[in-house]
Amino acid sequence: MKAPSAPELTELLGPGAVLPSTDALPVRVHPSSVEQVSALLALANSRGWVVLPQGGGTKAGWGGGTGICDLVLEMTGLNQLVEHEPGDLICVAGAGMRLGRLQEIVSRAPGYQQRLMLDAPQGSRATLGGLVATRASGPLRTRYGTMRDLLLGAQFVLADGTIARTGGKVVKNVAGYDLDKLLVGSNGSLAVLVEVALRLHPVPSGRASVVLAHATPQRAASFLAALRRVPAVPSIAEVLWPERTVLVQLESSPEGAERQAELVAAIDPEARQLDDAEWEHWHRTLSSRPWEGDGVVAGLALPLSRIPNLLFLAEQMDQKGVDFSLSLRGTVGVGEIRLPSVEGTVRGFREALESMDGELEIHRGSGVVGQMGSTLSDPISRTLSAAVKRALDPRGTLAPWRVTEPSPFSSGAADGPDCG
Amino acid sequence: MPVMVELQSGPEMKVETLVKRLREEVGAEWVLTSPSDLRTYECDGLTGWRQAPIAVVLPATTDEVSRVLALCHLLGVPFVARGSGTGLSGGALPVEDGIVIGLSRMRSILSVDLENERVVVQPGVPNLQVTQAVQAAGYFYAPDPSSQRVCSIGGNVAENSGGAHCLKYGFTTNHVTAATLVLSDGRVAHLGSQCPDSPGLDLLGVLIGSEGTLGVVTEVTLRIVRSPERIQTLLAAFDSTDGAGQAVAAIIAAGIVPAAMEMMDRATIEAVEATMHAGYPNCGAALLVELDGPAPECESLFQEVSALCQRVGATEVRVAADERERALLWKGRRGAFSAMGRVSPDYYVQDGVVPRSRLAEVLAGIGQLEAKHGLRVANVFHAGDGNLHPLILYDRRSPGGAGRARELAEDILGLCLAAGGSLTGEHGVGRDKVCQMPRLFSVSDQEVMCRVRTAFDPSGLANPGKLLPTPRLCGEHPGIYRPHPIELAGQAERL
Ligand SMILES: Cc1cc2nc3c(=O)[nH]c(=O)nc-3n(C[C@H](O)[C@H](O)[C@H](O)COP(=O)(O)OP(=O)(O)OC[C@H]3O[C@@H](n4cnc5c(N)ncnc54)[C@H](O)[C@@H]3O)c2cc1C
Repeated sequence: MKAPSAPELTELLGPGAVLPSTDALPVRVHPSSVEQVSALLALANSRGWVVLPQGGGTKAGWGGGTGICDLVLEMTGLNQLVEHEPGDLICVAGAGMRLGRLQEIVSRAPGYQQRLMLDAPQGSRATLGGLVATRASGPLRTRYGTMRDLLLGAQFVLADGTIARTGGKVVKNVAGYDLDKLLVGSNGSLAVLVEVALRLHPVPSGRASVVLAHATPQRAASFLAALRRVPAVPSIAEVLWPERTVLVQLESSPEGAERQAELVAAIDPEARQLDDAEWEHWHRTLSSRPWEGDGVVAGLALPLSRIPNLLFLAEQMDQKGVDFSLSLRGTVGVGEIRLPSVEGTVRGFREALESMDGELEIHRGSGVVGQMGSTLSDPISRTLSAAVKRALDPRGTLAPWRVTEPSPFSSGAADGPDCG
Repeated sequence: MPVMVELQSGPEMKVETLVKRLREEVGAEWVLTSPSDLRTYECDGLTGWRQAPIAVVLPATTDEVSRVLALCHLLGVPFVARGSGTGLSGGALPVEDGIVIGLSRMRSILSVDLENERVVVQPGVPNLQVTQAVQAAGYFYAPDPSSQRVCSIGGNVAENSGGAHCLKYGFTTNHVTAATLVLSDGRVAHLGSQCPDSPGLDLLGVLIGSEGTLGVVTEVTLRIVRSPERIQTLLAAFDSTDGAGQAVAAIIAAGIVPAAMEMMDRATIEAVEATMHAGYPNCGAALLVELDGPAPECESLFQEVSALCQRVGATEVRVAADERERALLWKGRRGAFSAMGRVSPDYYVQDGVVPRSRLAEVLAGIGQLEAKHGLRVANVFHAGDGNLHPLILYDRRSPGGAGRARELAEDILGLCLAAGGSLTGEHGVGRDKVCQMPRLFSVSDQEVMCRVRTAFDPSGLANPGKLLPTPRLCGEHPGIYRPHPIELAGQAERL
């Protein structure tokens, strides 16, 4: 295999597209069209180069982290708005567009109030393609789901340079296989996303919020269980530990939000409504919270009935003086945790979580503790995932270490040049 | 389970061996081969396409399905899964030289777990039974196809079925969290997880909507939803579909997401009134809007919706005062297809999608096509998400009747695609639209789909000839895509 060289790539793409770097691999290129992405991939595939697509670089550690690669495709050049149709609550844009920019564009439509309802960590700098590939989400996951629920269609390029589309730009569509779902959460290992069509939501006109502070695990868990039963539809229901706090946001018409907040606050005598300033104070840090401070950050998920067990575990960890921070979407059963970069601690937490039928996926710090994520327990699904990867990328060109699932205890290829 | 089979011994021997071995696997009484028994399985809800299978097998467990598929694999016999046979795209149409695997004996609800908001069912369970099993506890299963009394969860998973309330709650794909899938070689995969957002490739997401082409689903875990505190329903009458279309646009622009928003045109209202007397107003178009949610939210939005309808020219707004009146308003909508069956000898349901902002324009285009083809079209559809269901009324006995209906149906799809829409919103591609796929998807797009299909089913035995066009079905240049005049004029492009 002949390694990629800047002159060769410059010849392919024209001046300016190959980013200046040292002689070391990977070579970083900055394509600005779908055709360039296709040409690059076709070349890489024929040469046996390993390619990593990259968006805003905010979640480079996800999906098995960064590995050894020859070429990094910086996708931020494909950042054009293709269409925003406010009357249809949809938009279509280049996968390299940053979320912050998209929000700015869609919020400007006169006569409409709409947004992409996704508040993933470092979301505004993240690209749309990266958000699809990582399936990252934040507190609003509670009401609006993840990219799985927001992506309507995509254009993508396979490892061999094939340009293809899936889905469309309408909110209801069952023509052909739903390959959108396959791309969401594929961590760049199946195809390079070049354009995405997304569903927008109206921004509700009213908002109210409730806090339950100083809660015991038992009290927080009962509060959440009751929250699922009262006639209120929270857009955020975050449990924060060791802060022992549950935060709930209700969005609706102004009076609708207010009445729902009253119901929620009435669940527990200790719960109370927050004023706007207090809510802003909490909300500002809500999605980035687990990423603040050092340590390993992992996504976690567990069945709703096991949330009490998780909160008891968190309480115990706090009493033992473990430095951690847990953010949990309390009516869904997903969240993130920051843990010390100590292998034994991460492993211990993973085992405890798995005993609650939960799953852990390392997002930051796999270089230190290894991937140590939970694995799919079903062997036939594993075989199928590998078959899908082979079918779309038979030569293993696209981020092959971001295998379809992490292998337990393997180190995340921390040696070698970092693609991140 | 090694078996000795004489593969070399000609087609008849093969059928005999197959039937004998199937009987050993599932019990003789559950393998149907008599022509009269097979007739029931010749077609699904799209009755124009018919094909008798070699045999129909009715397995009772995942293990039996696995053994039946292993046998098919060994003998190279194609198979078609079948739920309740209500599909409208010929998805469950048998294939020549193939068997049908009927899931009608697998109709148990296996578990109801309210704490985790999950229900586990076998694939033959009728959709409505899921809601019936949990409604006393204050939950419901959101996807509600109009066929929900009959259609099966397995069929819903295969078609990614929707329903009137999917506007707010999402489709089948948003409500299935795990499934057991028997692959075409008999191996059993467990897709999905009891946890949300599970890491790894979302194979379950691909399975949903795959129309039986990736294997046979034998168990499904469903997410149930808390019943709303309040439901409010109104019917607004307009002079024309234009007016009703404006109301849809105004409601969406106001940031309101109704639970359901359904439109009926004059032809539909007349048919419904003639056959079931739902008491609808005599008007050019009716919009049925339902809101649900916490009471205060529901009530304030309901006021807003009525005001919006009036502002864009509703001639009447009827509000359902109680559950009985609500049922009456829905009666006509739910019974619209069968009403049409009574006023016209035959009808074909088209299932196109258009961006909601272009509803009025496409409906006007359909009106012009009616005149051009000399056939009537009745429109009754999910207006909130732009999913049209034009019912093309024709008489199969009149010379060229069926042919003209088909041409008109294809022209309507042309309008939908030119407006940036889709071939199908909920009924699927099946056999019916397989040759239309190239109108929406390029050769590369289809090839990628084909690669994924092959990853699941390398043998190609799972429901062949459905979903993706083949040269045999559609000719070397599959499909009959002709660019619409709007496209030629450069005013629109296919997405
Ligand atoms: C009057 C009427 C109204 C309708 N209204 C709606 C509506 O509002 N919304 C909507 O979405 N649809 C609607 N439909 C269409 C139809 O009811 C749905 O597509 C339904 O999901 C089909 O379910 P079924 O059990 O009848 O499936 P079938 O017709 O038996 O099969 C449909 C497809 O699913 C596959 N399949 C079935 N079971 C399995 C399994 N276990 N594993 C793998 N593949 C399987 C079959 O191979 C076939 O491809 C309507 C149909 C009628 C007749």
